[in-house]
Parts: sequence; structure tokens; C-alpha cells
Amino acid sequence: MRPPLFRLRPWPLAVALAVCLAGAGLAAGGCRPRDGGEGAANAAPDGSPPAAARPVRGGTAVIGWGSDINGVNELIVPANNVNDELLFQIFLHLVQEQGDFAEHPPTFEPQLAERWEFSPDRRVLTFHLRDDVAWSDGVAVTAEDVRWTWQAQTDPDVGWGELPAKEGITDVEVVDPHTVLFHFRAAYSKQLLDANEGVILPKHAWEKLPFAEWQKNADWFRERLVTNGPFLLQSWTPQQEIVLVRNLRFYDPALPYLDKVVMRVVPDQSAMLAMLRNGEVHFTPSLSATDVPAVRADPDLQLVAYWFKLFVFVAWNNEDPRFAHPEVRRALALAIDRRTIVDSLWGELARIGSSPIVTEVWAHHPRLQPLPYDPQEARRLLARHGWRDRNGDGLLDKDGRPFAFELVTNTGNQQRADAVVMIQEQLRRIGVQVEPRVLEIHTLTEQIDDGSYDAVLTGFGMDTSLDLHSVFHSRSIGEGNNIARYRNPEVDRLIEEVRRAPEIEQARPQLYKLQEVLHRDQPFTYLWESQRLHGASRRLQNIQSNILFSLFDLEEWWMAPAS
Amino acid sequence: MLWFLARRLAAAALLLFLVLSAVFFLVHAAPGDPADLFLEERLPRAQRERLRALWGLDRPLSEQYAAWLGAVALRGDWGVSLVHHRPVAAVLAEALPATLLLTGAAFAVDAIVGLALGVAAARRRGRAADHLIRWGSLLVFSLPTFWLGLMAILLFSHLWPVLPAGHLRSVGAEALPAPARLLDLARHLALPSLVLGLWLAGATARFVRNGLLEVLGQDYVRTARAAGVPERRVLWVHALRNAAVPVVQVFALTLPALLSGSLVTEVVFSLPGIGRAGFDAILTRDYPLVLGVTALSAALVIAGNLAADLAHGALDPKVRDA
Repeated sequence: MRPPLFRLRPWPLAVALAVCLAGAGLAAGGCRPRDGGEGAANAAPDGSPPAAARPVRGGTAVIGWGSDINGVNELIVPANNVNDELLFQIFLHLVQEQGDFAEHPPTFEPQLAERWEFSPDRRVLTFHLRDDVAWSDGVAVTAEDVRWTWQAQTDPDVGWGELPAKEGITDVEVVDPHTVLFHFRAAYSKQLLDANEGVILPKHAWEKLPFAEWQKNADWFRERLVTNGPFLLQSWTPQQEIVLVRNLRFYDPALPYLDKVVMRVVPDQSAMLAMLRNGEVHFTPSLSATDVPAVRADPDLQLVAYWFKLFVFVAWNNEDPRFAHPEVRRALALAIDRRTIVDSLWGELARIGSSPIVTEVWAHHPRLQPLPYDPQEARRLLARHGWRDRNGDGLLDKDGRPFAFELVTNTGNQQRADAVVMIQEQLRRIGVQVEPRVLEIHTLTEQIDDGSYDAVLTGFGMDTSLDLHSVFHSRSIGEGNNIARYRNPEVDRLIEEVRRAPEIEQARPQLYKLQEVLHRDQPFTYLWESQRLHGASRRLQNIQSNILFSLFDLEEWWMAPAS
Repeated sequence: MLWFLARRLAAAALLLFLVLSAVFFLVHAAPGDPADLFLEERLPRAQRERLRALWGLDRPLSEQYAAWLGAVALRGDWGVSLVHHRPVAAVLAEALPATLLLTGAAFAVDAIVGLALGVAAARRRGRAADHLIRWGSLLVFSLPTFWLGLMAILLFSHLWPVLPAGHLRSVGAEALPAPARLLDLARHLALPSLVLGLWLAGATARFVRNGLLEVLGQDYVRTARAAGVPERRVLWVHALRNAAVPVVQVFALTLPALLSGSLVTEVVFSLPGIGRAGFDAILTRDYPLVLGVTALSAALVIAGNLAADLAHGALDPKVRDA
């Protein structure tokens, strides 16, 4: 037995905390005492950073990103991660979710709201807003902005993608300019997350355009951009660069440290690495595993790596009679040598997955072991379900038909394409024939939607609400992301119980049980959880990247002067 | 001449209409639509239906086609991008300068280097220089532009860092005085336009060489030489003017290659051009933008061909009168 790699923490917490403590003595420094103080722990840089110094005010950091933002109004443009990362530097939320989810559900830090509380029946959530926050045109940010933002978010003509987050909210009520109440239909576990979904928008500047006109007028918002975050958008040249400058009105006068942040769009991965190495770019969130040796070898660069929420798996089409029985899916999982796949594709940068709730998250089942590689047992289980090699052609067959299926994945991801081929070879050894296929994402989506696929290798990112409804609830077949078309009344019930729990932590038994059932039933066979990889110049200090955002707390990053 | 131009323009308009109609039905036939954008999680079905209705994608395709055609033909309205939520014309107007700069500079490199090498090879027919140019140009033209681009970045931005690896200007260049800004732009255009231009020059050089050799064998060249006209004048005035007809056509034919090459070059060198806008639009099924980019690229190619035809007419009276 090899040691279970997935239990190792390549960035030991002790090291990360040491980095954190080194900066803790500084006023408003990197690891401000906050619940858990995990921001930096999630992003311990590779190797030791230069001796912790006092944060330096000023300087320009250039950040390279693979794609451009779609617009400045998050309600009308399709959400993508660069949009979120950038807009959250210029717009504030009510509160800020933290990255401290390893031991308990994530905590929240004040942002626009300095405190908040639930009513005894938990159906009313009160936010008390700071009274010293102003929009960039000088107008105060008030409860009216919060209410109007909710109206915009829920207007059908606006067509916001995150609308379902607001379904439990019946009204947003302004009590006074700095007190706002969120009324809920019922108490449930992610009320605060749902209330906090979406940034607060400037009512006085943007209410002049009727909601029905929003979809076609992204430029209107860009011309009337009024923001309240730590940075201001100075300019945006589409497909080229976005320039952020320090917001002098920001409520914390000590922040941000950086005078300017330039986000440059660099679509080509190799060009990105070249720019990082020659100093044209100081930070890039899009580093691939193959770039890691070059970054490690460069004395001017640091690797920022942390376990991410993404898990990659094979989804078996549970409505296909061949994959309908859990034991058959289990047999296929036993025949896939995931250790070899993970070691050869990722080395130490990934570990074998075992659950949709990834290992880093507090609710991950501590006793869940990934299924071993056991082709003997796989053959035995398949034989029990009638799959034997009756005609001596090396392939298992049943009712005169060989066990052959198509395993599809999306284009543009070499690791997934390689994994498909490795699985083909491994399953061939137990007499199962796999046809590998790589499809363009829209074609793949269409096949998944109408259930016409056999098995698909893809990845999901689980958010910290741990709501598995859209992925495993039977009502999410064809509707949400239940791509395996998996049906289990017990799972449906458990998912609903998790949702109804007033505090997610109280649902821990149900979350453990869910993981056990999903492990037993194998609607998905988990392949790997990988680390997120960023490359940065060693001059860039106090990088706070975490599972939520690569640019988390960018206002606290700073740039050491060039030596 | 006017009649020639009018006929050509009418044919171009018809061609453009056919190309766009074909692309309209092709992009709509491709699986998925902008409401299906699959990022980390998909939108719920009800939400997708709502977006489709907002964008008019729930109507029959023939109706969508008629509406689109009507808006374009009657009002010159290319619609609103479904991803950027702004007029297609605005997206294209922002992307066009970078593409024109890149293709213009690359075309200049192509013309100058291609012509010079072609003439040099023709003059030294069968000698070492001729072989070197012929094989060298074939080699360069056979390499993919993205590879050439990455090698150029590796050599001139990393190992010997003299030129930037991408973008159109340095960070903070907008604060520089105009001459310094121009120099900054030139430095940024140098690698991409050289890569694209030299790649095309490989083909051009071979065409120029062959065209010249054909002409150099003609009687009037021998006559000119016999009459004691200096070799330089024979080559550059007598021969090249007559070889110019096929060469101009070669340039017109390289226009599509120039545009498709600029797509790859824009990606490798992070330039904000229409090639990238179009590529992203296809991936996201942004129908109006795909059609806008197609129209613009097709119009550029058709205009280039028209210019070549006019030049051809000017150079060769037989064509003009036909």
C-alpha cells in the first residue's frame, strides 16, 4: 500500500501561519486578526519569501489575465471569473466571505455592513451599514442602494444569471439610511450567502435607465461608472488592458497599498509565461502544471499554489442500462488506476478525489477513502452483472453485445484528454472498450442535456454553500447540473435537509451521510482535485489568493521596490 | 472604367450577401447558444429561456434572419452583441485599428522583403543565393505562425530582451509625449508584424522570382539589354513592370492569408484585433458579432481584390477594355 497522497498537505499550515505571523505585528498588515486568519494560509508561496518587511505604499502591479472582462455591470454581462475578480475590486459587497473554511463554515468580514444579525425566527436578516462609505462621485452609499440593487437583480428584464440566489428573499426593506432588512420566505442554511450575492450598485447613477433597456446598453453603464471599492477603474481598453487606481475615498484610508493595478489581457499561455519571466507581468493566475518547473527555477519568481474547489470526475449516464447499477459503476471505478493518472498528469500538484465536497473543506468526510485500484474485484463485480467474455475476443459481453462505450470530454484541456486515453487503456485490461472523444463545449453540453452520452469526463467547482441540489438532486436532471442523471430518494431527502438547516454546521451529519451514499453509488467517479497555480514576481508581497478569489484582498498586496 | 467598377461593386455586394447568409445559418446550426455559456455552473433552464426570449432567440430562425437582414440592409444596424451587450459596430470599431495596424505593417514587410528576395533570387538564378532564398522561403512559409511568434517572443523578449512580448503599448505609455508614444507603438508592432510579414514574404518571394524569370526570358528584355540599357534599369523598370501583373494578384490572394494569419498573431502577441473578437464570438455563439466580424473580414478581402483588379486594369489595358 502506498501512502495516501491525498492526505498530505504540500503547504503545511505551520509554514503558512509563520508567514502570516511575520506580518501580523503590522498595523493593517497582511494577516489582520480576523476570524481564522486563513487568507494567507491558503496561499503560502513556494519557498521562503524575502524577509517580511513593512508594507510599502505605492507602485504599479501588472497582472496578466487570459481573458477580458465582459462589462462593468455584473447584472447584464455573463459572469466569468475575471469579471468577478475585477468588479469586486471596484464594487463592495455587504459582507465579505473569508477563505477560512477548513475547520468550520466560512466566516464573514464586514464590508459595506459593519454588523448584521438574524431575527429569532431567522426570517429577517438586518444589516447595519457603515456611515462613512461614499460612491466615487461623493454621494453616500445608503440602504436605498441596497434595496434598489435587489430590485435590479430580480427584475426579469435585466436577466441576471445569479437570480436563483434571490428566490428565498421576499422583500428588502429600508429602515433608515444605514439599516436594511432582508425578509426571507423561510429560514435556510445559506441565507447570508444569498443576501450577499452580487455587489451593491449605485442607485442615484444607474436608476435613470429603465430595466428593460439594460440588456442592450452596456456602454451606458461604462460611461456612468460610479463605484465604491478600494480601487477605481481609470481606463478599460477592451481585449488589452484595464487600469485600476487607488480610490482616495476608500473607507480605510490606509488601503490600498498599491497606487495602480494594470490588468493586461494575455490570451496565449506561452506568451504569458514569457511575460512573467521578463518582468512585463508581476502576477498571473493562469499558470499550467507544465509551467511550474520554469517558475520554480527562476529566482525572481514565486509559485503561489493552493488546493482549489475544482474536482474532476467521470459522470456515468445513470439512465443508460449498462451504467444503471451502482455495482457496475463501482466496478469501473475500481478498474481505473487513478494513482497512475494523477501522478503522471500532475505529480504532487493534485490528489485523488473522493467527494464533491473537496478535501480542504470543513464538511469533507474525514473517513472517506478513495476506492482502490483493484481490477480483480472489478471483473468479479462485472461478472456478477452478466458481463463475461463469452466469445473469447478479449471483451466482456452480455446478450451478445460487447461492453463498449464512448468517454467524452471537452476540447482545450490537455490533461482531461490525456486522462481519457489513460482510462481507455486501463479499462481495456478488464475487457471494457472505451472510445475516447473530445468535443467542443457546446456540442458536449447538448449531449449532456439530452442524455445522449455514455460517460463524460469533466469538472465542477463546488461553492462553500455546499448545496448539492443542482448536481445530485433528481429534480436537477435536465434542469440543473445533474449530468449523471442520478436518482436516489435518500440523496434527495438529505440534500433538502441540508438546505433547510438553519446553520450549515448543524447539517454536518447529513453532509457526511450524503458523501457516503454518493461514494457507494458512484454516480460520479472522482479522478482528482488539483491545486490552483499562480505565478508571481518575488517583489509582489502579501499575496492573499484563496479558493474564493485569486485577487482576494488585493488592497492589502504591496510591491517591494526593485532591488 | 466606371462601368467596370460598378459591375465589380455589384458582384461584391452579392458575394457579401451570400457569404453572410451562409454564415447566419451555419452559426445558428452549431450546437448551443449564448444562454448556454457553460462556465463553472450552468444557468437554470428557466433563466436560459428568459434570456433567449430577451434576445429574440426563441423566435423561428427564418423570422430572426428576416429581422437581421432588414436591420442590416435598411438601417445599417449590425445589432447588439449578446456577450458584450453593446452595439456590434462599437465592438468592431474598437478592434479594427489594431488589426489594420498589424496587417498594414505586415503587408509592408511582406511587400518589401518578398519583392527584394524575389528579385535577388531571379537575378542569381540557379546559384547558391537563389537556392537559399527558395528553400528558406519555403521553410518559413511551412511553419505555423503561432510557432514563429512564440519563437520570436522567446528569442527577442526573453533570451535577448529587446522587444516587448505583446500588447500595443507599454504600461503608462499614455503619459509619454507623442514621439515617444509612436516609438513605443513601433516597438510593440515590430515582432508581430515581422513574424506575419516574413511568413507571407516567403510565398511572395517565390511568386516574384517565377514571374520575373518568365519575363526575363522575353524578347523585349533581350532587346533592351542588346540596346545597352543598364541591367539595373532592365530589371526594375522593364521586367518588373511586366511581372507586376501576376505579383499584384499574388498580393490580393494573400489578403485572406494575411487576415487569418493576423488572428493567430493577435492571440500570440495579445493584440486587441478583430481576429480575436471573432474567435471569442464563435466560442460564445455571439451571433451578431460573428456576423459583424465575417462581414468586415469579407469586405476587407473583397476590397483588396477590387483594388488588385483596378491596379491590374491600370497595368494591363487588355483587362480594362474587356
